[in-house]
Amino acid sequence: MSSEKSTTLFIEHFQPECRFLHYYLKEMEGYQGLKKAFGMSPSEVIEEVKSSQLRGRGGAGFPTGMKWGFIPKQSSVPKYLVCNADESEPGTFKDRDLMRYTPHLLLEGMLIGAYAIGARSGYIYIRGEYAREAVLLQEAIEEAYAARYLGSNIQGSGFDFELTVHRGAGAYICGEETALLNSLEGKRGEPRVKPPFPAQAGAFGGPTIVNNVETLACVPFILRRGGPWFAQLGKLEKSGGTRLFCLSGHVKKPGLYELPAAGVTLRELIYTYGGGILNDRKLKAVIPGGSSAPVLTAEEIDVVLDVEPLMKIGSMLGSAGVVVVSEDYCVVKLIQRIAKFYAHESCGQCTPCREGCRWMEEVLERIEHGKGRTQDLNLLLQIADNIQGKTLCALGDAAAGPVASFVKKFQSDFEAHIRGGKCPN
Amino acid sequence: MPQLTVDGRLVEFKLGEKVIEVAKRAGVFIPYFCYHPGLSVVAQCRMCAVEIEKMPKLQTACSTLAAEGMVVHTRSEKALQNQKSVMEFLLINHPLDCPICDKSGECDLQDFSYDYGDPYSRYTEERRTYIDVDMGSVIQKNMNRCIHCTRCIRFGEEIAGIREMVALQRGNQTEITTIEGKPLETQYAGNYADICPTGSLGLKDFRFKKRVWMLKKTPTICEGCSRGCNMEIHQDSQVIYRCVPRENLEVNRYWLCDEGRFHFRSYQKDRVLFPYFKGKAVDWSLALESCRNILRGKKLLVLVGSDLTQEEITLVQEVLALDHAGSLLFHFGTPGMSSVSEDGDADGILKRKSKTSNLHGLEHLGIRGWDGLGAQAEALLVVRAGRAQWGKLPSLPSVGLGVFQESEAKQLDVILPGLNFTEKDGSVMNFQGKLQFFRRAIAPQGQSKGLAELFMMLRRDKASEVGVAS
Repeated sequence: MSSEKSTTLFIEHFQPECRFLHYYLKEMEGYQGLKKAFGMSPSEVIEEVKSSQLRGRGGAGFPTGMKWGFIPKQSSVPKYLVCNADESEPGTFKDRDLMRYTPHLLLEGMLIGAYAIGARSGYIYIRGEYAREAVLLQEAIEEAYAARYLGSNIQGSGFDFELTVHRGAGAYICGEETALLNSLEGKRGEPRVKPPFPAQAGAFGGPTIVNNVETLACVPFILRRGGPWFAQLGKLEKSGGTRLFCLSGHVKKPGLYELPAAGVTLRELIYTYGGGILNDRKLKAVIPGGSSAPVLTAEEIDVVLDVEPLMKIGSMLGSAGVVVVSEDYCVVKLIQRIAKFYAHESCGQCTPCREGCRWMEEVLERIEHGKGRTQDLNLLLQIADNIQGKTLCALGDAAAGPVASFVKKFQSDFEAHIRGGKCPN
Repeated sequence: MPQLTVDGRLVEFKLGEKVIEVAKRAGVFIPYFCYHPGLSVVAQCRMCAVEIEKMPKLQTACSTLAAEGMVVHTRSEKALQNQKSVMEFLLINHPLDCPICDKSGECDLQDFSYDYGDPYSRYTEERRTYIDVDMGSVIQKNMNRCIHCTRCIRFGEEIAGIREMVALQRGNQTEITTIEGKPLETQYAGNYADICPTGSLGLKDFRFKKRVWMLKKTPTICEGCSRGCNMEIHQDSQVIYRCVPRENLEVNRYWLCDEGRFHFRSYQKDRVLFPYFKGKAVDWSLALESCRNILRGKKLLVLVGSDLTQEEITLVQEVLALDHAGSLLFHFGTPGMSSVSEDGDADGILKRKSKTSNLHGLEHLGIRGWDGLGAQAEALLVVRAGRAQWGKLPSLPSVGLGVFQESEAKQLDVILPGLNFTEKDGSVMNFQGKLQFFRRAIAPQGQSKGLAELFMMLRRDKASEVGVAS
């Protein structure tokens, strides 16, 4: 990997002073994308975003332009644009910096999105733990209202948009878009049966688009410089733009790295950008896309960090939260902790997730504490298999996939726990 | 009409129908817990997941819309494995206390465990337990048995119109309970027990009373109001243990109010089961003779309860025409209500203002409501089935035929005990003009007799006069 400087969109603006409107207008071509959008028809805006190859940055990687295209042009009920700022996937911390340092980028992205889909009101659903970011967002929104970038007849365009920050109460599941909408409506935060999809009936029954913070923050650049320009930033056909990779765990230089989408391998991210493993220990495992991504071993890191390449080897890019684990750490303990998280965060609606996640956690806890039995590994794989693909939402998969992958890839570590009657680490 | 294939059977469907409904019509039963035809679809239990060709994952039949050309496999290897795994998940934390559970024998969880589950459990961890709250006078809760299907929550919100059942906590610790642990307020609480697919919500009234497989079931019509909800009487050895709703989409759908459900209890205590004279039990010959003395040759005021069947009313009319020409005949039933024009919806759910089952039938036969006056009569004859209520009776020599409470006995000079709705066959007409038939569930209690028999006994001496063998 060459160390030449590639184009970045966000990271040079991750400074405290960048959050203010005057900085945004002066240094970041602020609200120029919106201006351009107002000169286009909504469907032209959607086409522009389609041509940018922007794909959702929340985890699923769905093409954003196509998603916007699902919204019916005519609707008897109000349409909504909702920003998913719940960023609850463990190992992910990109949206926080985007909101902290470049909130107007998000606001402009939302305005463009709202214009494209015909929404007059929008919400930013921010996780409860991001108390400070919620305040900063609110300040940015007030700035935007004062400067007539929000409210009625925005910049004389005739377009109205009201934006509200809604704080969550601390549930992982509220990052799932339909659970988020339930929570937004004041209901219990649990996913809805799909169909209907949010684009048909979402917030308050109206056609709704839910986009991740990073996704929306990309949109102003697409309008300013054109979809094709954005698309060429990415290194694979289907993935345009840059991506914020959240590197954490046992690396020398953890942090946020903005790199071309599909532009680096996992090895390059860890060793070239991250400076290698802490204390120069050996790499044991990597979780490439937030804790719900199936684990990779040290032999599997020559994979390009993007949606399809990772899917091909049985994992996923998810939210691009890369968690690095050195040989010093017990992988059984790690997956037990991850399983505990998902059991705790399961909403409890559907049977396999409610019962299965807890069961996996209990078995893993026994193994970690030396009370495992040889048949437990098979049992874990079977429980995981009985959850995967059979739950109401993706949380079941998020819990079962990692467990199955850890058991399969680090079988000897589990067996050592069972044989020795204790954790060898 | 569009068609799809379920387990090799081609079946037509209407647009908007769900796979589970279409399959049922084709004779293919897909097991389910959270689905209920009268409630919204949540697809939570995952039991009904089936394999549909061209779809990578299993699809829940309750939430999947039927589509033209769809090919559904409900017993494919993947579908069977899912059913087995859902049963395992549901049972790992279930107490498996069927031997002491009232639901046993009519429990979906129990039945599907036999049909689709595995006989062995692989679960060796500690089971989840809850501490139960008191849910009021109708429902007994046992949260440990709950499988979190949320039917009760949806019933409250969607049918009973009250948000009182909720899910607290989340994940594995989710508890289905009332808000702040308050007792249930709805007057339809009994339905919670009916729709609960396990023994988690049971009727307090039925608790530990009878194993359900001992019960004999008779279709009947509730006599509680003019809706005429379809229900079933469950009895064993001539003792009624409970009433449950019977599906009738045009009348009561799947539901029953508590007043109607427990109405049978009012006949199980303080009922006049012997001939009475001046408030005291007497033998039949004395009672009959007293009746004849009061009624013979008199111009009568006849008050018939709007709880009587069409057949009984017709009989009364015929007897009056024979023996008491010129008598005045009126109906009574709900104090303050003298005609069907005053009947109406009482709560927006099932209950009607008329508190008897056959007001509309009686008016259909041309009988008008009693205005409460004594009129120009020499004696009073009251005929009723037990439910109809009167205001104040005129002070005339009086005879009562039918079902009366001990507390009412003093208001009538003579009482001949008759049958209530559980002891006879008959038909009643509900507020929609629908004539509904019901069957006798138990034998007459005490010395109660049918109205025809009572009239026969009263008219015996008259019968001999016209040459009929006595």
